[in-house]
Amino acid sequence: MPAVDLLFNACLSVFLAGAVAGLVSLWRPAGARFLAFGLALCGSLLDIAASVATLAQGSTLLWNLPCGVPVFSWSVRLDPLSAYFCLALGILGAAVSIYSFGYLRDWKKPRNAGALGFFYNLLLLSLVLVFTAANAFFFLVAWEVMALATYCLVSFEHEKEETRQAGVLFLIMSHAGTGLQLIAFLLLAVAAGGLDFSSFHLLASRLPAGEQGAIFVLFFLGFGVKAGIIPIHVWLPAAHPVAPSNISALMSGIVIKAGIYGMARVFFDFFDVPPLWAGILVLAIGVVSALLGVLYALMEHDLKRLLAYHSIENIGIILIGFGAALMFHSLGHPTLAAIALIAGLYHTLNHAIFKCLLFLGAGAVLHATHTRNMEKMGGLIRKMPVTAFCFLIGAVAISGLPPLNGFVSEWLTYQALLAGFGTTQSLTRVMFPLAGALLALTAALAAACFVKAFGITFLALPRSAEAEQARETAFSMRLGMAILAVGCVVLGLGASWFLPVFDPITQQALGVRMSSALVASNGFVISAGSPRSGTISTVGIAASLLLLSIVPVLLWLAWGRRSRRTSGPVWDCGLPGLTAANEYTATAFSKPLRMIFSALYRPRREIQAEFEVSPYYPTAIRFESEIEPAFEKHLYDPIKERILALANRMRALQAGSIHAYLAYIFITLIILLLFGARG
Amino acid sequence: MHSVLNPEFGDKIVTLTAAMVLVLQIAMAAQRWLVTNIRIFGLQSFLLAFIAGTIAVFNGAPHLFMAAVLTLLVKAILVPILLERLVDRIGIRQEIEPFINAPLSVLISGALTLAGYIVSESIYRSDPHTSSAALGHNTLAVAISLFLIGFFTMINRRKALTQVLALLSLENGLFLATISLTYGMPLIVELGVFFDVLVAVLVLAILVYRIRETFDSMDVSRMRRLQG
Repeated sequence: MPAVDLLFNACLSVFLAGAVAGLVSLWRPAGARFLAFGLALCGSLLDIAASVATLAQGSTLLWNLPCGVPVFSWSVRLDPLSAYFCLALGILGAAVSIYSFGYLRDWKKPRNAGALGFFYNLLLLSLVLVFTAANAFFFLVAWEVMALATYCLVSFEHEKEETRQAGVLFLIMSHAGTGLQLIAFLLLAVAAGGLDFSSFHLLASRLPAGEQGAIFVLFFLGFGVKAGIIPIHVWLPAAHPVAPSNISALMSGIVIKAGIYGMARVFFDFFDVPPLWAGILVLAIGVVSALLGVLYALMEHDLKRLLAYHSIENIGIILIGFGAALMFHSLGHPTLAAIALIAGLYHTLNHAIFKCLLFLGAGAVLHATHTRNMEKMGGLIRKMPVTAFCFLIGAVAISGLPPLNGFVSEWLTYQALLAGFGTTQSLTRVMFPLAGALLALTAALAAACFVKAFGITFLALPRSAEAEQARETAFSMRLGMAILAVGCVVLGLGASWFLPVFDPITQQALGVRMSSALVASNGFVISAGSPRSGTISTVGIAASLLLLSIVPVLLWLAWGRRSRRTSGPVWDCGLPGLTAANEYTATAFSKPLRMIFSALYRPRREIQAEFEVSPYYPTAIRFESEIEPAFEKHLYDPIKERILALANRMRALQAGSIHAYLAYIFITLIILLLFGARG
Repeated sequence: MHSVLNPEFGDKIVTLTAAMVLVLQIAMAAQRWLVTNIRIFGLQSFLLAFIAGTIAVFNGAPHLFMAAVLTLLVKAILVPILLERLVDRIGIRQEIEPFINAPLSVLISGALTLAGYIVSESIYRSDPHTSSAALGHNTLAVAISLFLIGFFTMINRRKALTQVLALLSLENGLFLATISLTYGMPLIVELGVFFDVLVAVLVLAILVYRIRETFDSMDVSRMRRLQG
């Protein structure tokens, strides 16, 4: 077994080298592509190796990086939780790097590929450091580098107004979040008398209740901005679509998981037994994020915005797991807490993989059709079969359908919630079945949404000339997607063999090891821990699906060969010559849901018909429909107006007069002098 | 029979001269003629040089002679000549138009002197083991008051040239503070400071000339378009 710290340092150095290579080859696109992204691929593989070794040993390594400022130690700790997030990062980094070879090749402006490579490597490097930093100061430095690298990547196509606005919004919200974290870290540091994470271990629970609550809420909101919980999610659907597609895949896959990592670190490392209300808060926000995320996703016709809203939904599902784990922990049920925590963490990895896959697929479609609007796609399955198949795998996984990975983690979440009803006699227990029911609704709506996303994009006839002329993407892009598609299948079918990975994490966080209780029948069946709870076997489901698919073949062999076959045109209601105009649109598909949830959406529609002679024979009809952006309108706009009004009033201070500025300095000086004289 | 070179006698002379310096500073804050202002500054600098020389004689700090001579040459002679020549060149001899009228300026100057005494009092109180070589806290209080009144005068003036004068008198306050607390800094530092003042005056003189050329006025309160 090679030394983990050697692997890890090599991984950091390779990412650094990749960043330098990106800078060096700033104007040489081909060099940038192969050097920067090749190094990123190597770094990701080294990262996977280091985290797999750590998870296999279940050990914790702590050492200092041989660089840095003298006062603050740049200490790095690779414990199982860090290694788990590093593993997710490595898998995604490898797949996206491979995908980028092809993605950047026939790019419209290849001269910027070097800059992209620089920030890409910087992002990967800072993410590794965020996941492994063992010192509050170092963590915040890495966190800020990550935010800035992300900002540069989001505003990469900065010639578009939309992109610039999204970048600024991201920057503002990200920094607001960092500010909240900073306060919380300082509160902890004062109590601990140091900045090391090891001195924060279980510390928060020993503080007075008020301070405890403040630290919890500050951390939850501070990390929640990055994770994209409702109502502080608005940067997410703005920033994800405008970034280059390989970057949005990485952002949705792993950057928002940095927020989840931070929460896991705080909730299960800094806190011992958190107060009960904290768990209820996380669970409630999780449910709201999941439900509203999918509801807004349903109304989107922009493929990448739709996926961005699904990120909010899945962050919500992860937080349902975390919230339930916190509640069980407060109520004194560590085994149930461990199951809920495993569900949340497993969904983190699963979502990283299938969401990255879907964004890469969307990127391939975008690449081929040059539009993000689903209404202009269609029929792509015949032009781009491999992309369509990979996208389908991702869609099935995100919809939580068996036997893929999304199903396993959502099933574990349900099991934990259902078992939760018996854990307490107080009214709080109603939370569990309620959350379960809403989670079920979320999953069903997600499935509906992906029927729309896949059906409108890939099936039927092309709706525009661009879709007509689409071609299959480059080999490396298909390879990148295929790796992730295989990941979805493996994590679904092999879930029971993957579950022991969580043993060291739950051991560290809650003091229990669950894998032997969760896995039954030599790994072919997963149970939810207790004899009364449900069991499931993804391998069994997959096998029966395969067997059932043989049945029609057998039937055809038995009788079909003798019967007569006829082929005719598609049924067209007696109007021959079906065109794309006859197709169901995305708007039409989501209409029933728009009507059911109209109290939430407050849809506005406008129909204008132009006619010459009679209103019954219009020459042109214009139809417009939009839903109300509730959070922007009722939460952010008032805040924005207040801040602008305040800023306007503050402008009076900046009179532009030298005398006024001198007077400010003078008055401050006098006050300070007198204050000092008094003291 | 006390020796003529008794340090206590020297201390009294210094305190008396410092009081005159303070009176001149308040006069500068209150009066309205530009050329008079420059001459008051020259006189004030001359008194400062006298203080530095007195301390050098009575307290046996010969390197302060150097500071005294430099003050005399640079601040009491060279700078006033430079400034008067500038006034001739840009052809103004008119009144200063302060924001605040003379009586109120004197009142504010009095309040600032009080503030200076409060501050210097606290410095002496907080450190009872002040070295015996240091002068009485009167001089320090005067130095702080000079600084504060100079600052106030700078705010109160509209014209760039008169602000330069106020800045120079403010710098006089700093000089008095250094020699009263520490018998002056090492010679090389003093030299640096004087060179600094000289260069500052030259640069400001050129700048004032340019401002006048560009804006047809030296009134910096008209330069409001610089705001962001």
